[in-house]
Amino acid sequence: MTAFAEFLPYILSGMVWTLGLVAGGVGIGFVIGLFMAIGQIYGGNEVKAIIHAYVWFFRSIPLLVLLFLFYWGVFPATGFKLDPLACSIVVLGLRSGAYQSQIFRGGIMSLGDTQLLAARALGMSQMRGIFHVVLPQALRISMPGWSNEYATMIKDSSITFALGVLEILTRTRYVVNATHEPLIPYFFAGGLFLVLTYAGTKAVNIVYERTKIPGLVGRL
Amino acid sequence: MSEKKSRRGFVKTVGVGVGGLIVGALAGTAIAPMMTPPPPKAKFADPPPSGSTVIHGMDAAYPPFTQIDPSGNAVGFDVDVVNMIAKKYGWQVVHKPWDWSTIITAVQSGDLDFVASGMTETAARSEIAWFGVPYYSFIHQLIALATDTRTRDQILNSNSFIACQTGATSDEWATKLLAAGYTFQKLGLDSYELAFEAVTDGRAVAVISDSAFTGPYFKTQPDQAAKFRVVSTIGGDATYGYATRPGDFGLRNQINQALEGIMGTTDWQSLRDKWNV
Repeated sequence: MTAFAEFLPYILSGMVWTLGLVAGGVGIGFVIGLFMAIGQIYGGNEVKAIIHAYVWFFRSIPLLVLLFLFYWGVFPATGFKLDPLACSIVVLGLRSGAYQSQIFRGGIMSLGDTQLLAARALGMSQMRGIFHVVLPQALRISMPGWSNEYATMIKDSSITFALGVLEILTRTRYVVNATHEPLIPYFFAGGLFLVLTYAGTKAVNIVYERTKIPGLVGRL
Repeated sequence: MSEKKSRRGFVKTVGVGVGGLIVGALAGTAIAPMMTPPPPKAKFADPPPSGSTVIHGMDAAYPPFTQIDPSGNAVGFDVDVVNMIAKKYGWQVVHKPWDWSTIITAVQSGDLDFVASGMTETAARSEIAWFGVPYYSFIHQLIALATDTRTRDQILNSNSFIACQTGATSDEWATKLLAAGYTFQKLGLDSYELAFEAVTDGRAVAVISDSAFTGPYFKTQPDQAAKFRVVSTIGGDATYGYATRPGDFGLRNQINQALEGIMGTTDWQSLRDKWNV
Protein backbone atom coordinates (compact mmCIF):
# COMPACT_ATOMS: atom_id res chain seq x y z
CA MET A 1 0.00 0.00 0.00
CA THR A 2 2.86 2.36 0.90
CA ALA A 3 4.62 1.52 -2.34
CA PHE A 4 1.44 2.13 -4.28
CA ALA A 5 0.91 5.50 -2.59
CA GLU A 6 4.24 6.67 -4.01
CA PHE A 7 2.98 5.87 -7.50
CA LEU A 8 -0.34 7.70 -7.09
CA PRO A 9 0.75 10.90 -8.89
CA TYR A 10 2.06 8.80 -11.76
CA ILE A 11 -1.27 7.03 -12.24
CA LEU A 12 -3.26 10.22 -11.73
CA SER A 13 -1.28 11.99 -14.45
CA GLY A 14 -2.56 9.29 -16.80
CA MET A 15 -5.93 11.04 -16.57
CA VAL A 16 -4.55 13.84 -18.73
CA TRP A 17 -3.70 11.33 -21.45
CA THR A 18 -7.04 9.55 -21.11
CA LEU A 19 -8.94 12.84 -21.33
CA GLY A 20 -6.78 13.87 -24.28
CA LEU A 21 -7.67 10.64 -26.07
CA VAL A 22 -11.36 11.12 -25.31
CA ALA A 23 -11.46 14.82 -26.21
CA GLY A 24 -9.61 14.19 -29.48
CA GLY A 25 -11.61 11.09 -30.34
CA VAL A 26 -14.99 12.55 -29.51
CA GLY A 27 -14.10 15.81 -31.27
CA ILE A 28 -13.02 14.15 -34.51
CA GLY A 29 -15.96 11.79 -34.24
CA PHE A 30 -18.36 14.70 -33.77
CA VAL A 31 -17.28 16.42 -36.98
CA ILE A 32 -17.27 13.19 -38.98
CA GLY A 33 -20.51 11.94 -37.42
CA LEU A 34 -22.39 15.18 -38.00
CA PHE A 35 -21.54 15.45 -41.67
CA MET A 36 -22.16 11.77 -42.24
CA ALA A 37 -25.56 11.99 -40.58
CA ILE A 38 -26.47 14.88 -42.89
CA GLY A 39 -25.14 12.96 -45.87
CA GLN A 40 -27.01 9.84 -44.91
CA ILE A 41 -30.32 11.67 -44.73
CA TYR A 42 -30.06 14.37 -47.37
CA GLY A 43 -27.34 13.02 -49.66
CA GLY A 44 -27.65 11.22 -52.97
CA ASN A 45 -27.59 7.47 -53.33
CA GLU A 46 -23.82 7.36 -53.93
CA VAL A 47 -23.12 9.43 -50.81
CA LYS A 48 -25.47 7.25 -48.78
CA ALA A 49 -23.78 4.09 -50.03
CA ILE A 50 -20.29 5.38 -49.16
CA ILE A 51 -21.38 6.47 -45.69
CA HIS A 52 -23.16 3.19 -45.15
CA ALA A 53 -19.97 1.30 -46.05
CA TYR A 54 -17.91 3.53 -43.72
CA VAL A 55 -20.28 3.00 -40.80
CA TRP A 56 -20.46 -0.72 -41.48
CA PHE A 57 -16.66 -0.97 -41.62
CA PHE A 58 -15.89 0.91 -38.42
CA ARG A 59 -18.71 -0.62 -36.42
CA SER A 60 -17.84 -4.16 -37.45
CA ILE A 61 -14.12 -4.29 -36.65
CA PRO A 62 -12.83 -4.53 -33.09
CA LEU A 63 -11.09 -1.39 -31.87
CA LEU A 64 -7.84 -3.22 -31.16
CA VAL A 65 -7.73 -4.51 -34.74
CA LEU A 66 -8.38 -0.99 -36.04
CA LEU A 67 -5.57 0.40 -33.90
CA PHE A 68 -3.08 -2.16 -35.16
CA LEU A 69 -4.36 -1.88 -38.74
CA PHE A 70 -3.88 1.88 -38.84
CA TYR A 71 -0.70 2.08 -36.75
CA TRP A 72 1.20 -0.76 -38.40
CA GLY A 73 -0.49 -0.83 -41.80
CA VAL A 74 -2.47 2.08 -43.17
CA PHE A 75 -0.45 5.05 -41.94
CA PRO A 76 3.02 3.66 -42.71
CA ALA A 77 1.80 2.50 -46.14
CA THR A 78 0.50 5.96 -46.96
CA GLY A 79 3.63 7.70 -45.74
CA PHE A 80 2.07 9.28 -42.63
CA LYS A 81 3.88 7.97 -39.62
CA LEU A 82 1.91 9.04 -36.58
CA ASP A 83 3.08 8.47 -33.02
CA PRO A 84 0.97 6.09 -30.90
CA LEU A 85 -0.99 8.87 -29.19
CA ALA A 86 -1.89 10.70 -32.42
CA CYS A 87 -2.75 7.45 -34.17
CA SER A 88 -4.95 6.37 -31.27
CA ILE A 89 -6.83 9.70 -31.31
CA VAL A 90 -7.40 9.46 -35.06
CA VAL A 91 -8.60 5.85 -34.87
CA LEU A 92 -10.86 6.56 -31.89
CA GLY A 93 -12.23 9.54 -33.82
CA LEU A 94 -12.83 7.62 -37.04
CA ARG A 95 -14.61 4.88 -35.15
CA SER A 96 -16.57 7.26 -32.99
CA GLY A 97 -17.63 9.12 -36.13
CA ALA A 98 -19.38 5.98 -37.32
CA TYR A 99 -21.28 5.65 -34.04
CA GLN A 100 -21.99 9.35 -33.63
CA SER A 101 -23.38 9.55 -37.16
CA GLN A 102 -26.10 7.12 -36.14
CA ILE A 103 -26.89 9.11 -32.99
CA PHE A 104 -27.23 12.35 -34.97
CA ARG A 105 -29.10 10.57 -37.72
CA GLY A 106 -31.66 9.41 -35.17
CA GLY A 107 -31.93 12.95 -33.81
CA ILE A 108 -32.48 14.46 -37.26
CA MET A 109 -35.00 11.81 -38.29
CA SER A 110 -36.99 12.25 -35.10
CA LEU A 111 -37.78 15.79 -36.26
CA GLY A 112 -39.46 14.60 -39.44
CA ASP A 113 -39.53 16.52 -42.73
CA THR A 114 -41.72 19.34 -41.57
CA GLN A 115 -39.02 21.49 -39.99
CA LEU A 116 -36.96 21.59 -43.14
CA LEU A 117 -40.06 22.15 -45.26
CA ALA A 118 -41.02 25.08 -43.05
CA ALA A 119 -37.52 26.51 -43.38
CA ARG A 120 -37.69 26.16 -47.15
CA ALA A 121 -41.12 27.80 -47.14
CA LEU A 122 -39.51 30.77 -45.36
CA GLY A 123 -37.06 31.06 -48.24
CA MET A 124 -34.04 29.34 -46.70
CA SER A 125 -31.79 27.19 -48.84
CA GLN A 126 -31.64 23.50 -47.98
CA MET A 127 -28.17 23.86 -46.38
CA ARG A 128 -29.25 26.88 -44.38
CA GLY A 129 -32.36 25.08 -43.26
CA ILE A 130 -30.32 22.09 -42.14
CA PHE A 131 -27.73 24.12 -40.24
CA HIS A 132 -30.02 26.79 -38.76
CA VAL A 133 -33.26 24.93 -38.15
CA VAL A 134 -32.78 21.16 -38.17
CA LEU A 135 -29.38 20.72 -36.48
CA PRO A 136 -29.93 23.02 -33.50
CA GLN A 137 -32.92 20.89 -32.55
CA ALA A 138 -31.50 17.54 -33.59
CA LEU A 139 -28.31 18.06 -31.60
CA ARG A 140 -30.29 18.81 -28.47
CA ILE A 141 -32.36 15.68 -28.97
CA SER A 142 -29.19 13.66 -29.55
CA MET A 143 -27.49 14.69 -26.35
CA PRO A 144 -28.61 11.83 -24.08
CA GLY A 145 -27.48 9.30 -26.68
CA TRP A 146 -24.32 11.28 -27.23
CA SER A 147 -23.42 11.08 -23.53
CA ASN A 148 -23.36 7.29 -23.96
CA GLU A 149 -20.75 7.78 -26.66
CA TYR A 150 -18.63 9.76 -24.22
CA ALA A 151 -18.93 7.00 -21.60
CA THR A 152 -18.05 4.36 -24.18
CA MET A 153 -15.07 6.38 -25.37
CA ILE A 154 -13.67 6.82 -21.85
CA LYS A 155 -13.64 3.07 -21.40
CA ASP A 156 -12.48 2.25 -24.94
CA SER A 157 -9.54 4.64 -24.59
CA SER A 158 -7.89 2.14 -22.26
CA ILE A 159 -7.33 -0.26 -25.14
CA THR A 160 -4.64 2.08 -26.48
CA PHE A 161 -2.35 0.54 -23.86
CA ALA A 162 -1.58 -1.92 -26.66
CA LEU A 163 0.31 0.87 -28.44
CA GLY A 164 1.98 2.00 -25.23
CA VAL A 165 -0.03 5.22 -24.88
CA LEU A 166 0.55 6.29 -21.28
CA GLU A 167 -3.10 6.54 -20.27
CA ILE A 168 -4.48 5.28 -16.95
CA LEU A 169 -4.43 1.54 -17.66
CA THR A 170 -0.93 1.49 -19.16
CA ARG A 171 0.46 3.32 -16.15
CA THR A 172 -1.45 1.10 -13.75
CA ARG A 173 0.01 -1.96 -15.42
CA TYR A 174 3.53 -0.63 -14.98
CA VAL A 175 2.81 0.18 -11.34
CA VAL A 176 1.43 -3.31 -10.71
CA ASN A 177 4.69 -4.78 -11.95
CA ALA A 178 6.84 -2.32 -10.04
CA THR A 179 5.01 -2.82 -6.74
CA HIS A 180 4.05 -6.50 -7.11
CA GLU A 181 0.59 -5.48 -5.98
CA PRO A 182 -2.26 -5.94 -8.49
CA LEU A 183 -5.43 -5.47 -6.44
CA ILE A 184 -5.17 -1.89 -5.20
CA PRO A 185 -3.76 -0.31 -8.38
CA TYR A 186 -6.37 -1.91 -10.64
CA PHE A 187 -9.11 -1.09 -8.16
CA PHE A 188 -7.92 2.50 -8.10
CA ALA A 189 -7.77 2.63 -11.91
CA GLY A 190 -11.33 1.32 -12.05
CA GLY A 191 -12.34 4.08 -9.64
CA LEU A 192 -10.73 6.72 -11.85
CA PHE A 193 -12.65 5.50 -14.89
CA LEU A 194 -15.83 5.50 -12.83
CA VAL A 195 -15.27 9.09 -11.72
CA LEU A 196 -14.40 10.27 -15.23
CA THR A 197 -17.45 8.55 -16.70
CA TYR A 198 -19.78 9.89 -14.04
CA ALA A 199 -18.40 13.43 -14.21
CA GLY A 200 -18.54 13.54 -18.00
CA THR A 201 -22.05 12.16 -18.38
CA LYS A 202 -23.23 14.45 -15.60
CA ALA A 203 -21.73 17.44 -17.41
CA VAL A 204 -23.45 16.44 -20.67
CA ASN A 205 -26.74 16.05 -18.77
CA ILE A 206 -26.38 19.54 -17.29
CA VAL A 207 -25.81 20.97 -20.77
CA TYR A 208 -28.81 18.98 -22.01
CA GLU A 209 -31.03 20.28 -19.21
CA ARG A 210 -30.01 23.84 -19.92
CA THR A 211 -30.41 23.66 -23.66
CA LYS A 212 -33.40 21.39 -24.14
CA ILE A 213 -36.38 22.86 -25.86
CA PRO A 214 -39.69 22.95 -23.98
CA GLY A 215 -42.26 20.82 -25.73
CA LEU A 216 -39.71 18.87 -27.71
CA VAL A 217 -38.76 15.23 -27.05
CA GLY A 218 -38.16 14.48 -23.39
CA ARG A 219 -39.94 17.58 -22.13
CA LEU A 220 -43.71 17.62 -22.02
CA MET B 1 -47.48 -10.27 -52.92
CA SER B 2 -45.93 -8.39 -49.99
CA GLU B 3 -44.50 -11.68 -48.69
CA LYS B 4 -42.89 -12.23 -52.07
CA LYS B 5 -41.53 -8.69 -51.98
CA SER B 6 -40.10 -9.08 -48.52
CA ARG B 7 -38.52 -12.42 -49.47
CA ARG B 8 -36.99 -10.75 -52.51
CA GLY B 9 -35.73 -7.95 -50.27
CA PHE B 10 -34.20 -10.45 -47.88
CA VAL B 11 -32.48 -12.32 -50.69
CA LYS B 12 -31.23 -9.01 -52.08
CA THR B 13 -29.83 -7.93 -48.71
CA VAL B 14 -28.11 -11.26 -48.15
CA GLY B 15 -26.79 -11.14 -51.72
CA VAL B 16 -25.38 -7.66 -51.23
CA GLY B 17 -23.83 -8.70 -47.92
CA VAL B 18 -22.19 -11.82 -49.32
CA GLY B 19 -21.12 -9.94 -52.46
CA GLY B 20 -19.63 -7.20 -50.27
CA LEU B 21 -17.68 -9.73 -48.26
CA ILE B 22 -16.31 -11.39 -51.40
CA VAL B 23 -15.37 -8.04 -52.96
CA GLY B 24 -13.84 -6.92 -49.66
CA ALA B 25 -11.83 -10.12 -49.31
CA LEU B 26 -10.56 -9.86 -52.90
CA ALA B 27 -9.71 -6.19 -52.50
CA GLY B 28 -8.00 -6.91 -49.17
CA THR B 29 -5.92 -9.65 -50.75
CA ALA B 30 -4.98 -7.36 -53.63
CA ILE B 31 -3.91 -4.44 -51.45
CA ALA B 32 -2.29 -6.52 -48.71
CA PRO B 33 1.19 -6.41 -50.28
CA MET B 34 0.86 -2.63 -50.62
CA MET B 35 -0.16 -2.33 -46.98
CA THR B 36 3.00 -3.97 -45.73
CA PRO B 37 5.25 -1.09 -44.76
CA PRO B 38 8.64 -1.18 -46.42
CA PRO B 39 11.41 -1.96 -43.97
CA PRO B 40 13.05 1.30 -42.91
CA LYS B 41 16.50 2.04 -44.22
CA ALA B 42 19.23 1.60 -41.69
CA LYS B 43 19.24 4.62 -39.43
CA PHE B 44 22.60 3.94 -37.84
CA ALA B 45 24.59 2.05 -40.47
CA ASP B 46 27.45 4.22 -39.21
CA PRO B 47 28.06 4.77 -35.50
CA PRO B 48 25.66 7.40 -34.12
CA PRO B 49 27.64 10.60 -33.56
CA SER B 50 27.80 12.24 -30.16
CA GLY B 51 24.58 14.15 -29.45
CA SER B 52 22.43 11.74 -31.50
CA THR B 53 19.07 10.76 -30.10
CA VAL B 54 18.81 6.99 -29.74
CA ILE B 55 15.47 5.45 -28.77
CA HIS B 56 15.65 2.58 -26.31
CA GLY B 57 12.56 0.37 -26.36
CA MET B 58 11.61 -1.26 -23.09
CA ASP B 59 8.84 -3.22 -21.46
CA ALA B 60 8.16 -1.12 -18.38
CA ALA B 61 6.46 -4.12 -16.80
CA TYR B 62 9.56 -6.31 -16.50
CA PRO B 63 11.25 -5.65 -13.17
CA PRO B 64 14.05 -5.57 -12.29
CA PHE B 65 15.38 -5.25 -15.84
CA THR B 66 13.05 -2.46 -16.96
CA GLN B 67 10.39 -0.77 -14.86
CA ILE B 68 9.32 2.70 -13.74
CA ASP B 69 9.92 4.56 -10.48
CA PRO B 70 7.24 6.57 -8.64
CA SER B 71 8.08 9.64 -10.76
CA GLY B 72 7.44 7.66 -13.93
CA ASN B 73 11.12 7.53 -14.90
CA ALA B 74 12.53 4.39 -16.47
CA VAL B 75 14.72 2.44 -14.07
CA GLY B 76 16.15 -1.05 -13.86
CA PHE B 77 19.23 -3.08 -14.64
CA ASP B 78 18.95 -2.65 -18.41
CA VAL B 79 18.16 1.05 -18.07
CA ASP B 80 21.30 1.62 -15.99
CA VAL B 81 23.44 -0.22 -18.52
CA VAL B 82 21.91 1.66 -21.46
CA ASN B 83 22.56 4.95 -19.65
CA MET B 84 26.20 3.97 -19.16
CA ILE B 85 26.54 3.14 -22.87
CA ALA B 86 24.86 6.41 -23.88
CA LYS B 87 27.12 8.38 -21.55
CA LYS B 88 30.20 6.77 -23.06
CA TYR B 89 29.24 7.89 -26.57
CA GLY B 90 27.46 11.13 -25.71
CA TRP B 91 24.09 9.93 -27.03
CA GLN B 92 20.78 11.37 -25.91
CA VAL B 93 18.92 8.23 -24.99
CA VAL B 94 15.13 8.15 -24.82
CA HIS B 95 13.72 5.26 -22.76
CA LYS B 96 10.44 4.50 -24.47
CA PRO B 97 8.00 2.05 -22.86
CA TRP B 98 6.38 -0.22 -25.42
CA ASP B 99 3.96 -3.13 -25.30
CA TRP B 100 5.98 -6.33 -25.34
CA SER B 101 3.83 -8.12 -27.90
CA THR B 102 4.77 -5.63 -30.67
CA ILE B 103 8.16 -4.42 -29.48
CA ILE B 104 10.20 -6.21 -32.17
CA THR B 105 7.86 -4.90 -34.88
CA ALA B 106 8.46 -1.42 -33.47
CA VAL B 107 12.21 -1.84 -33.96
CA GLN B 108 11.59 -3.03 -37.50
CA SER B 109 9.29 -0.11 -38.29
CA GLY B 110 11.67 2.48 -36.85
CA ASP B 111 9.62 3.47 -33.79
CA LEU B 112 12.43 2.20 -31.60
CA ASP B 113 16.15 1.98 -32.35
CA PHE B 114 16.91 -0.99 -30.13
CA VAL B 115 15.40 -3.08 -27.36
CA ALA B 116 17.24 -3.70 -24.11
CA SER B 117 14.64 -5.17 -21.82
CA GLY B 118 15.51 -8.70 -20.90
CA MET B 119 14.93 -9.94 -24.43
CA THR B 120 15.78 -13.57 -25.12
CA GLU B 121 17.65 -14.23 -28.33
CA THR B 122 15.51 -16.57 -30.41
CA ALA B 123 15.66 -17.72 -34.02
CA ALA B 124 12.24 -16.22 -34.79
CA ARG B 125 13.20 -12.80 -33.42
CA SER B 126 16.55 -12.93 -35.20
CA GLU B 127 14.74 -13.03 -38.53
CA ILE B 128 13.54 -9.50 -37.84
CA ALA B 129 16.12 -8.04 -35.49
CA TRP B 130 19.77 -8.81 -34.99
CA PHE B 131 21.05 -9.30 -31.47
CA GLY B 132 24.18 -7.93 -29.91
CA VAL B 133 26.47 -9.80 -27.54
CA PRO B 134 24.66 -11.93 -24.95
CA TYR B 135 24.86 -10.32 -21.54
CA TYR B 136 22.76 -12.51 -19.28
CA SER B 137 22.00 -16.23 -19.25
CA PHE B 138 19.13 -18.03 -17.61
CA ILE B 139 16.95 -21.10 -17.93
CA HIS B 140 13.23 -21.71 -18.35
CA GLN B 141 11.38 -23.42 -15.55
CA LEU B 142 8.10 -25.12 -14.76
CA ILE B 143 6.97 -23.76 -11.40
CA ALA B 144 4.02 -24.99 -9.34
CA LEU B 145 2.66 -24.46 -5.85
CA ALA B 146 4.90 -25.88 -3.14
CA THR B 147 1.98 -28.04 -2.02
CA ASP B 148 1.64 -29.62 -5.46
CA THR B 149 3.69 -32.81 -5.37
CA ARG B 150 3.04 -33.93 -8.92
CA THR B 151 5.86 -34.58 -11.37
CA ARG B 152 6.56 -32.47 -14.42
CA ASP B 153 4.79 -34.91 -16.78
CA GLN B 154 1.78 -35.23 -14.50
CA ILE B 155 1.35 -31.44 -14.45
CA LEU B 156 1.93 -31.06 -18.19
CA ASN B 157 -0.64 -33.81 -18.88
CA SER B 158 -3.22 -32.61 -16.35
CA ASN B 159 -5.51 -30.88 -18.90
CA SER B 160 -5.33 -27.89 -16.55
CA PHE B 161 -4.25 -24.34 -17.32
CA ILE B 162 -0.56 -23.50 -17.22
CA ALA B 163 0.21 -19.79 -17.25
CA CYS B 164 2.88 -17.96 -19.24
CA GLN B 165 3.57 -14.42 -20.42
CA THR B 166 2.06 -13.71 -23.82
CA GLY B 167 4.69 -13.01 -26.46
CA ALA B 168 7.55 -14.07 -24.19
CA THR B 169 9.73 -17.13 -24.63
CA SER B 170 7.64 -18.91 -21.98
CA ASP B 171 4.74 -18.56 -24.44
CA GLU B 172 6.91 -20.17 -27.13
CA TRP B 173 7.82 -22.99 -24.76
CA ALA B 174 4.17 -23.61 -23.94
CA THR B 175 3.42 -23.86 -27.65
CA LYS B 176 6.36 -26.22 -28.20
CA LEU B 177 5.29 -28.47 -25.32
CA LEU B 178 1.72 -28.63 -26.65
CA ALA B 179 3.05 -29.49 -30.10
CA ALA B 180 5.11 -32.25 -28.47
CA GLY B 181 1.87 -33.85 -27.30
CA TYR B 182 1.40 -32.64 -23.73
CA THR B 183 -2.20 -32.09 -22.76
CA PHE B 184 -2.40 -28.91 -20.70
CA GLN B 185 -4.13 -25.66 -21.65
CA LYS B 186 -2.14 -22.49 -22.16
CA LEU B 187 -3.14 -19.40 -20.20
CA GLY B 188 -1.35 -16.42 -21.76
CA LEU B 189 -1.18 -13.40 -19.45
CA ASP B 190 0.27 -9.93 -19.64
CA SER B 191 3.24 -10.51 -17.34
CA TYR B 192 4.96 -13.18 -15.28
CA GLU B 193 3.68 -11.39 -12.22
CA LEU B 194 0.10 -12.07 -13.31
CA ALA B 195 1.01 -15.64 -14.26
CA PHE B 196 2.08 -16.32 -10.66
CA GLU B 197 -1.04 -14.61 -9.37
CA ALA B 198 -3.09 -16.93 -11.57
CA VAL B 199 -1.60 -19.95 -9.82
CA THR B 200 -2.18 -18.60 -6.32
CA ASP B 201 -5.76 -17.72 -7.36
CA GLY B 202 -6.34 -21.25 -8.64
CA ARG B 203 -6.81 -20.24 -12.27
CA ALA B 204 -3.73 -22.18 -13.32
CA VAL B 205 -1.79 -25.07 -11.82
CA ALA B 206 1.69 -23.96 -12.84
CA VAL B 207 3.74 -21.25 -14.55
CA ILE B 208 6.27 -21.57 -17.30
CA SER B 209 8.72 -18.86 -16.34
CA ASP B 210 12.39 -18.10 -16.60
CA SER B 211 15.03 -17.80 -13.93
CA ALA B 212 15.86 -14.27 -15.06
CA PHE B 213 12.48 -13.22 -13.72
CA THR B 214 11.92 -15.67 -10.90
CA GLY B 215 15.39 -15.21 -9.38
CA PRO B 216 15.00 -11.50 -8.54
CA TYR B 217 11.24 -11.85 -8.06
CA PHE B 218 11.53 -14.50 -5.38
CA LYS B 219 14.44 -12.66 -3.73
CA THR B 220 12.33 -9.54 -3.30
CA GLN B 221 9.10 -11.43 -2.59
CA PRO B 222 9.98 -14.08 0.03
CA ASP B 223 6.30 -14.64 0.90
CA GLN B 224 5.56 -15.44 -2.71
CA ALA B 225 8.70 -17.57 -3.01
CA ALA B 226 7.58 -19.74 -0.08
CA LYS B 227 4.40 -20.64 -1.96
CA PHE B 228 6.14 -22.09 -5.02
CA ARG B 229 8.63 -24.76 -6.02
CA VAL B 230 10.53 -25.34 -9.22
CA VAL B 231 9.19 -28.58 -10.66
CA SER B 232 11.76 -28.85 -13.43
CA THR B 233 13.79 -26.88 -15.92
CA ILE B 234 12.67 -26.65 -19.53
CA GLY B 235 15.14 -26.65 -22.41
CA GLY B 236 18.70 -25.43 -22.16
CA ASP B 237 20.34 -22.14 -21.30
CA ALA B 238 18.97 -19.03 -22.96
CA THR B 239 20.53 -15.58 -23.19
CA TYR B 240 19.43 -11.97 -23.25
CA GLY B 241 20.74 -9.60 -25.89
CA TYR B 242 20.04 -6.13 -27.28
CA ALA B 243 17.83 -6.30 -30.39
CA THR B 244 18.69 -3.89 -33.20
CA ARG B 245 17.68 -3.41 -36.84
CA PRO B 246 19.80 -5.67 -39.10
CA GLY B 247 21.16 -2.72 -41.09
CA ASP B 248 22.23 -0.70 -38.05
CA PHE B 249 25.77 -2.06 -38.00
CA GLY B 250 27.19 1.13 -36.51
CA LEU B 251 24.81 1.21 -33.57
CA ARG B 252 25.17 -2.51 -32.87
CA ASN B 253 28.98 -2.41 -32.95
CA GLN B 254 29.09 0.56 -30.62
CA ILE B 255 26.69 -1.12 -28.18
CA ASN B 256 28.63 -4.37 -28.29
CA GLN B 257 31.95 -2.65 -27.63
CA ALA B 258 30.56 -0.65 -24.74
CA LEU B 259 28.71 -3.62 -23.28
CA GLU B 260 31.77 -5.87 -23.39
CA GLY B 261 33.74 -3.09 -21.74
CA ILE B 262 31.20 -2.69 -18.93
CA MET B 263 30.93 -6.44 -18.38
CA GLY B 264 34.69 -6.56 -17.79
CA THR B 265 34.53 -4.08 -14.91
CA THR B 266 33.39 -4.26 -11.31
CA ASP B 267 30.49 -1.94 -12.23
CA TRP B 268 28.79 -4.89 -13.84
CA GLN B 269 28.70 -6.94 -10.65
CA SER B 270 27.66 -3.85 -8.70
CA LEU B 271 24.72 -3.39 -11.04
CA ARG B 272 23.76 -7.04 -10.72
CA ASP B 273 23.87 -6.76 -6.96
CA LYS B 274 21.89 -3.53 -7.03
CA TRP B 275 19.09 -5.08 -9.02
CA ASN B 276 19.32 -8.64 -7.66
CA VAL B 277 19.87 -10.14 -11.10
